[in-house]
Amino acid sequence: MNAFREISSKISAVKLQNRVIALFALVMMTIPLGIGPYPISAMVDVGLYSIVTIGIILLMGFAGQISIGHAAFFGIGAYTSAILTTHYQFSPWLALFLGAALSGGIAAAIGRAMFRLHGLMLAGITLALNLVFYHLVCSMIGLTGGAMGLINIPPLILGGLNFSRSFLTYYMVWIIAIVILGFSLNLANSQVGRTLRSMNTHAGGSEDAAQVLGINVNSYKVQILVLSAVYASIAGSIYAHHARVVEPGTFFIPFSVMVVIMAVLGGLRSPWGAFLGAGLMIGVREFLWEVMPVFVTGVTGAYELIAYGVILILALLFLPRGLISLFGRAFTKRRATV
Amino acid sequence: MKTDSAVVKDAVTSKKVAPDKLLLKVEDVSMRFGVLAVLKRVSFSVPKGNILVIIGPNGAGKSTLLKLISGLLSLQEGEIWFKQHRLSKIPPHRISSLGITQLLQDVQLFSSMSVIENIMVGCHLRTRAGFLSAGLKLPQAQADEQRILKRAMSKLSLVGLEQKAWGNPVGLSWGQQKLVGLARALATGSDLLLLDEPYSGLLADEIDKLNQLILQLQRQGMTILIVEHLTDVLMGIGNQVIVLDYGEKIAEGTPDEIQRNKRVIDAYLGSG
Amino acid sequence: MDFPNALQIFISGANLGAIYTALGLGFFVIYSVTRLVNLAQGEFVMLGGMLTVSFYKMGIPLVPSITLAVIISGLAGAGLYRFIIYPARGYSRLTQLLLTVGFVFAIQGVALLIWGWDFRSLPAFFNTPCIQLWGATIFGQTPWVIGVTLVMVIGLFFFFGRTIQGKALRACANEPLGARTMGVNIDRMALYSFIMAAGLGAVVGAMITPLTMTSYSMGWSLTIKGVLAAFVGGINRAEGVILGGVALGMMEAAAAGMVPGGYHNVIAPGILIVVLLLRPHGILAIPGRVE
Repeated sequence: MNAFREISSKISAVKLQNRVIALFALVMMTIPLGIGPYPISAMVDVGLYSIVTIGIILLMGFAGQISIGHAAFFGIGAYTSAILTTHYQFSPWLALFLGAALSGGIAAAIGRAMFRLHGLMLAGITLALNLVFYHLVCSMIGLTGGAMGLINIPPLILGGLNFSRSFLTYYMVWIIAIVILGFSLNLANSQVGRTLRSMNTHAGGSEDAAQVLGINVNSYKVQILVLSAVYASIAGSIYAHHARVVEPGTFFIPFSVMVVIMAVLGGLRSPWGAFLGAGLMIGVREFLWEVMPVFVTGVTGAYELIAYGVILILALLFLPRGLISLFGRAFTKRRATV
Repeated sequence: MKTDSAVVKDAVTSKKVAPDKLLLKVEDVSMRFGVLAVLKRVSFSVPKGNILVIIGPNGAGKSTLLKLISGLLSLQEGEIWFKQHRLSKIPPHRISSLGITQLLQDVQLFSSMSVIENIMVGCHLRTRAGFLSAGLKLPQAQADEQRILKRAMSKLSLVGLEQKAWGNPVGLSWGQQKLVGLARALATGSDLLLLDEPYSGLLADEIDKLNQLILQLQRQGMTILIVEHLTDVLMGIGNQVIVLDYGEKIAEGTPDEIQRNKRVIDAYLGSG
Repeated sequence: MDFPNALQIFISGANLGAIYTALGLGFFVIYSVTRLVNLAQGEFVMLGGMLTVSFYKMGIPLVPSITLAVIISGLAGAGLYRFIIYPARGYSRLTQLLLTVGFVFAIQGVALLIWGWDFRSLPAFFNTPCIQLWGATIFGQTPWVIGVTLVMVIGLFFFFGRTIQGKALRACANEPLGARTMGVNIDRMALYSFIMAAGLGAVVGAMITPLTMTSYSMGWSLTIKGVLAAFVGGINRAEGVILGGVALGMMEAAAAGMVPGGYHNVIAPGILIVVLLLRPHGILAIPGRVE
């Protein structure tokens, strides 16, 4: 039958994706060998932002919901790790796990109520939740160090390797990022991904049509929220150990908005978009901070900030579907996979 | 959950129908949107294997009734029983898992995926794999995918559109979209199929094809509820007909009886 | 609690409520006409404050300073619409929202360029002194804050409710197709709404500078305050914004007086969460009209 020829051509689509992942992993693993420490630190940032952004893409691009408060989940991971390792001498890996569990647990608890809202109001409540988190952290000075934050967070240690050097952190972040990418791609290409897209009104889906097919729309939304919260928390924990310092300003609205920007600019249609978006925004930031002072002297940061804003505006105007649209259908081909 | 023990008579044969043969029982259902009363104490029962046709002028509340059965609207007054379950307390996706599915008036195919994937979504109730096994690509998830792909293809063949499997639904004609929507609904494996104005916008040969499909489904044991406001098409199909006018049930019987019913004729002529 | 403290809290609350309301209204003007969320609203406020300070320090009297600030801010608003939002008019609301964020960065950069990192301040308008009233202190600027906000509210009600232009603006958001058939130029109306919001924001900036100082990066927290006020009350009605602003201001001031540390800041977003969960469209909103 016709179908079987289709099935076999689909297998090659899956193999192609696997090969791309492998290639990507290879490239990312060899990059640090060729560049100095400063770009490595920037690449660590790209990796961390990408992890959070993949969660945002799953939440926004697939489940069709919005969050402009994800900095809170990033912060839960970061502060849990910071507090448990500095005040209570927990193992960093245990703290990371606990942070992720806490993040996921909170997401599960609030998700059901949250998703009674849609669109603008949903965005509003996520904003408010981020604000609550931020102000609580600022106020609980005994626990969190308040507005000054916590310092001297111990580095991650694994099997004798001390991750205080960016070089090693780079590998850890990117290995985790690629594993998360693989998991998310599998999810996206599976029946779960299909189901998500079916209930996403922004992606040609319909909640009503999904419901009458037996899909528990709310449950899926909550599960994706939990997953994205776990991703963000993991990134946050690693961030705490990498930066050795946490302070509340990092986990505020600008961060939440930034990951949404990265998701949109990268492309909401595929988890690959996270790397494109994070790479673009951080690449631009690094480029501007390195290059611009050579050409233009002035108040530190002023021209870079202006250029940053202009580039963001241009990118959104010219690539409304994100960078991933430049790669055509290759990464976003919606075919059933076997 | 048991229905009350009052015996129901099959509308067509007037023979008593045992309660366990009743698939669906609608009891005194009323519905208002604000001050507008859309349904007024509608009651009827559907034995298993029937094709019930609900007709009536536009605005008579027919679509609302279907949505109450499938759960897209919440019951305000009255009760609906399906396979001995009370539907008033159950969310729509749970109602679907009990065995009811609906083909919406505007079908609402998912435009971000191919035709076959649309139908695979319909197989949702047949999958076992969850987030974890899908994300880790465990053998169970992969086996699931194979299985539902085959199932989806068989439903698509049933409606005769297998050559369109990998295309995008927006490229299909309206009639073809309806058929794909039907295939998607059938993929759920439901016992009760609700069709909301399925014939609207179809060409004559498409109408014939749809009728053949419906009869075939009935032979396979499905129970079907069709809502329409065109009448001539349906008289060949249904064995049980209910007429609604301004939210009230004004007649019930066989197609012949309905066609001769004066009150029905008045209702149709009266509303122009 | 003794009377002077309670009175102080009340005055604080009125002050804060007026600020919240004024910020929310600027946000509301654009949303009610275009259904767009303008996250750059706080930047207009910042611009208004910074510009007013600069002009004033140059020796220009207060009112002309503010007027100039309003005009320049209005131009910025027009620029935002014409060059950034209008080209993206077919894009998703989310993209348009993110475009305003791009504008935020750019404007902050410009502000940084012109004024640097410093905080700027103004004396209270016309050097109004502090008043002691029954044991409570009223800062000189507070009556101006409340007064200007009142004028703003009355002015907006009059404009939107009574004038043809105002009604045309409202029609755009509620019924764009109908408005077009009546000959209303939607794009022109959108442009006006941006100019208006920018101008209003500038006035707000001038009026709060004596109280809170201004710097290039203060925009975000002001935008957030405006968003909270607008959402709590019900974003598609002006009365909602006013109610929301006043309610938030009063409750936050009360909390600040009674609760230690920074916990009072949790009140405003906390209230929004509760309101959204109980009444998803805000306290006064008309259901069904928010997307």
